[in-house]
Amino acid sequence: MAVRRRPSIPNQTAAPPNPDPGGDPQPPNTAPSLDQFSLAPPKLGLILSVLALFLIPFFYLLFVHYQVESDLRYYISICVALSLVGFVFTVGLIPVAARYLLRRNMFGYDINKRGTPQGEVKVPETLGIVTAIVFLVVAIVLQLCTLTADSDWLVEYNAALACICFMTLLGFDDDVLDVPWRVKLALPFFASLPLMMAYAGHTSIIIPKPLVPYVGLSVLDLGVIYKVYMILLVIFCTNSINIHAGLNGLEVGQTVVISFAVLIHNLMQIGASTDIDYKQAHAFSIYIMWPLLTTSLGLLAFNWYPSSVFVGDTYTYFAGMSLAVVGILGHFSETLLLFFLPQILNFLYSCPQLFGFVHCPRHRLPRFDTQTGLLTGTNDMNLVNLFLRLFGRCTEKSLCIRLLIFQALSCLMCFGLRYILAGWYK
Amino acid sequence: MAVRRRPSIPNQTAAPPNPDPGGDPQPPNAAPSLDQFSLAPPKLGLILSVLALFLIPFFYLLFVHYQVESDLRYYISICVALSLVGFGFTVGLIPVAARYLLRRNMFGYDINKRGTPQGEVKVPETLGIVTAIVFLVVAIVLQLCTLTADSDWLVEYNAALACICFMTLLGFVDDVLDVPWRVKLALPFFASLPLMMAYAGHTSIIIPKPLVPYVGLSVLDLGVIYKVYMILLVIFCTNSINIHAGLNGLEVGQTVVISFAVLIHNLMQIGASTDIDYKQAHAFSIYIMWPLLTTSLGLLAFNWYPSSVFVGDTYTYFAGMSLAVVGILGHFSETLLLFFLPQILNFLYSCPQLFGFVHCPRHRLPRFDTQTGLLTGTNDMNLVNLFLRLFGRCTEKSLCIRLLIFQALSCLMCFGLRYILAGWYK
Repeated sequence: MAVRRRPSIPNQTAAPPNPDPGGDPQPPNTAPSLDQFSLAPPKLGLILSVLALFLIPFFYLLFVHYQVESDLRYYISICVALSLVGFVFTVGLIPVAARYLLRRNMFGYDINKRGTPQGEVKVPETLGIVTAIVFLVVAIVLQLCTLTADSDWLVEYNAALACICFMTLLGFDDDVLDVPWRVKLALPFFASLPLMMAYAGHTSIIIPKPLVPYVGLSVLDLGVIYKVYMILLVIFCTNSINIHAGLNGLEVGQTVVISFAVLIHNLMQIGASTDIDYKQAHAFSIYIMWPLLTTSLGLLAFNWYPSSVFVGDTYTYFAGMSLAVVGILGHFSETLLLFFLPQILNFLYSCPQLFGFVHCPRHRLPRFDTQTGLLTGTNDMNLVNLFLRLFGRCTEKSLCIRLLIFQALSCLMCFGLRYILAGWYK
Repeated sequence: MAVRRRPSIPNQTAAPPNPDPGGDPQPPNAAPSLDQFSLAPPKLGLILSVLALFLIPFFYLLFVHYQVESDLRYYISICVALSLVGFGFTVGLIPVAARYLLRRNMFGYDINKRGTPQGEVKVPETLGIVTAIVFLVVAIVLQLCTLTADSDWLVEYNAALACICFMTLLGFVDDVLDVPWRVKLALPFFASLPLMMAYAGHTSIIIPKPLVPYVGLSVLDLGVIYKVYMILLVIFCTNSINIHAGLNGLEVGQTVVISFAVLIHNLMQIGASTDIDYKQAHAFSIYIMWPLLTTSLGLLAFNWYPSSVFVGDTYTYFAGMSLAVVGILGHFSETLLLFFLPQILNFLYSCPQLFGFVHCPRHRLPRFDTQTGLLTGTNDMNLVNLFLRLFGRCTEKSLCIRLLIFQALSCLMCFGLRYILAGWYK
């Protein structure tokens, strides 16, 4: 469950809280001075290419391939524009926030570089708070631009904002106070409560056709059980991203891949459907996913290998909650779960260690060899180590890329699966 | 603007971050061990008496004096019951959270006790976060109990939750990172944005009858200007509580007095009116004010003189936002401002110092005399010092009580004023 940082609580780390152990001329009581610290420049070239790689197919589908109503096209374009503004603000605010976080002793050491000079650098933590706050402001402003005061979607939008905001608050509290892991597990439950109230949709599921003779019904109304399912979905999405972590850029990277898959899915559903409510549900999801995508890319500009900032549980909880919220309020939670396939596999594979049947160390990370610079897989039961054991040793960056390619292929496969099965399944 | 704490950032305080300056047997790097720290017991006798003092007149008005519909009585009673549960949780969680906050070096020294042994004690800071989180959970659960899924009030309720939650998040980020004061001022603006969208009410004001001949209209529709007024109200409520501070228990105490006045006002309006929407607006306010009142009393149990915890900007922003939100969504913002009269006076009197015309020290606090244990007023331009100059030196506890009595009398006077003027004014 641990994210890849050394806890920055003084009595749990080997390094003294005093930032000048070598007896610098600075008085021993000062935290790193604000003037001395400067962040490595963001990897904008990479990030902007990725962004272009997303924008081109998205706009192709929106304007060329599908016949979408012009007002919906207009709102979606505004959404993208505001999200890009959010991207810029995220990139601009992260260095500022990093200085304040470092001054407050919220930092970690990069465990996967231990033994090299980079392993001694204090990396600012919890920069996910910048992403979350910029996201919330963009989402609120977007609401002002796209929804009228009497729209039916206002309830859902405000409930979504309340949930995501509450999750961010609890996640940030966790990063600051380092709460026990049992409390960590329960936090998403509380944050999802506004959603339980606002969810005014159907609570029935469609039984897959092959199972109808056995179940006896074609549509099953789950009622309260559906709400329990929703809560479980929220708890799963938040925590599964949190445990599929440990490499520079993995947490943000997987979120970026999944949210882009969700965006394409939303657009395809809008293009293929004629039901107004159905289109509105997917448009709603787009209004939340685009800000998530661009603010996450802004964070990734600093968090991609080699990380100059760490994201904190604030980010993984915020991202997981945002994804769960759109899946629930957009009524496509089953498809969302298909996109989460690597996370599901990672969770299932991790179960023995998570539940204590197999010994679970504090960090289930690979072993770093300082001489070759490569990671070697340990026997820990998660995807990170599994990939190392299956495909051999490699650098941290290649491993992360491999896992993200796996995430992307998985989403592609799910698209294919969904469309092949559509006739047979529903 | 400063709340009464020494900044706990190591390079700004004279005391070293090392918790064992005297060279204790503990290793010099250890933060205060979780086992050693224990909070003074809460002042439950005082707080429960105050609570009873509130409950008795409230229930008298609700069940005896006014003819209120039975379902509304039922919902309000549920609201009070859940709020009392919230009180229990707040009192239970504060000692737990205090240990984690202290471990994270979030503490301050009590400046008004400097020179005495109590001035050396590390007082945990930012316990307002416990109040805010318990409040949010109670408010969400209350929503499940009192509103149906298709109620018109769902939008307003969720917008209120989103605002209060966002304000708490920004307030907590401020307490952790200690942002510059210009940013502090702007935070309530961002947090109030969901409210701007959800406010679907009238944006016109009723011109006082005596002024009608001059204005030429009896009702003036302000439109967008009303929304600006709402934003200013939010910024005012949050920051005015923040600057009317500096004594043990003053911030929470004033909030408790104001919210109780609001509750009585709400009940009186429900009792005196027959308009369904109007009653619903005031019921909505009750559903938010009761949790605020009880969770604040839970905090006051520890924060009352002598404070064993400090509340942080998290609390003052959270409380200010909650009060502004009910005033706006309940459509009684003018009455709310009347209750804020001491805060208005304090703000106006403080203006020369706040705007730099007169020199403004970091803390505009009275001078503490260690030998007599009394506070003496300085020439700082705020109510705290003014009271000392007008009424003579006294202990911190008496001064706080005097200021709270002033707050209560001012609310009483506003009740009287409102009812005397009702015929003449409207």
